[in-house]
Amino acid sequence: MTLREKIETGKFLVTAEMGPPQSNSGDVLRKKAVYFQKGVDGVNITDNQTAIVRLSSIASAKILLDEGLEPVIQMTCRDRNRIALQSDLLGASALGIENVLCLTGDFPTFGNHPEAKPVFDLDSVQLIAMVTQLNEGRFLSGETMKLAPHFLIGGGANPFAEPLEFRVLRLAKKIRAGARFIQTQPVFDLERFSEWMGLVRKHGLHEKAAILAGVMPVKSAKALLYMQRDVPGVRIHHDYIQRMEKADSPQEEGIRIAVEIIEELKNIEGVRGTHLMPLLWESIAPRILEESGLLH
Amino acid sequence: MNTLFTRDKGKPKYWERFLSRWMLWGENCVKVPLFGCQRCGECILSHTAFICSQRCPKRLRNGPCGGIREGGYCEAYPERRCVWYRIYGRARWMHRLAFLGRIEQIHNWNLEKTSAWLNVFTKRIKPPTLFIWKKDPYDVA
Repeated sequence: MTLREKIETGKFLVTAEMGPPQSNSGDVLRKKAVYFQKGVDGVNITDNQTAIVRLSSIASAKILLDEGLEPVIQMTCRDRNRIALQSDLLGASALGIENVLCLTGDFPTFGNHPEAKPVFDLDSVQLIAMVTQLNEGRFLSGETMKLAPHFLIGGGANPFAEPLEFRVLRLAKKIRAGARFIQTQPVFDLERFSEWMGLVRKHGLHEKAAILAGVMPVKSAKALLYMQRDVPGVRIHHDYIQRMEKADSPQEEGIRIAVEIIEELKNIEGVRGTHLMPLLWESIAPRILEESGLLH
Repeated sequence: MNTLFTRDKGKPKYWERFLSRWMLWGENCVKVPLFGCQRCGECILSHTAFICSQRCPKRLRNGPCGGIREGGYCEAYPERRCVWYRIYGRARWMHRLAFLGRIEQIHNWNLEKTSAWLNVFTKRIKPPTLFIWKKDPYDVA
């Protein structure tokens, strides 16, 4: 079953995120693919996340597709103008990739090429609208194409950044533009997430798109502190930092926290699934899924 | 009919270029000090509570990215306030939130550094919407 069909069925979805290597080594991806063979409905491949050069998202997706996984490519507006975006999307479709997550992208100054020209020809809402138009068989220019792609379009959402009401409004725009699933930033503050979900339910957005809440297992308190300090738009409840600092084995505690958060998310009305982001720790995914009862 | 963006109408005529230069001078005198205009030539100031959204380093036209820092500061330039954070605050104060619910058109980069007022007159861009009756941003198509 494809991700598109699974969204229709109403089961609790699990997607996971995988970072391609900073080299041309496809074997790294094939090794990581093993961890996502069971229980994962879609694997996101990041598109040069934090503006650091990595193996291309589409090429990685093709490798995963050959390994029998269902890849979700990420498309950011940071590096491509409307011509490159459309051409890459057609290329991805020709390779058999059917899911695309449309994002704005991090600013280049975060990465290893801070001097690069930021493109941002479109923003994520416009990108989603453009992919919707491609699905209808028309280029952005309005010209028709012979064979149209059929992408399942996703969007990102950050429930933790200010201003909260605008976050939900922007989500509504993305859904109106054609997004069918939404993946959020990692949840480390359930209170704030519930508040955001409340607003999402109030406007009935959870019925129009599948909301997948992000979960990130971390290895140490240092990683949490780094995220809180240096990654903009991430909010971490101080309880988690304290627990990680006090724990005898921070790795075990990190797993416990991730499983706890997944359990809590299952109980929130309107959450259709979880989006696992084991940053450089893909090997832990099967264990977390097993402990939270999502291996099926 | 393309609603995602307004099609480019080709090269400006000589009189347009001449007039654009003078009108841009007039626009700069007004819009730069008052609204922080960035001369994108495709003005949506009336939709963004009269703060120029193009001051965003990513030039976003549809709302803030996910990278706003604590207290509403910019992801790329931590010392600056996020322009969309300010737009939201002012739109709420001015009761113009409904404008923020619309999906803005994709920018025509040929219009950079041209006069938006003249572009409205020559029908290169859509005229600004100064007022809408609807107050609910989720209701605006």
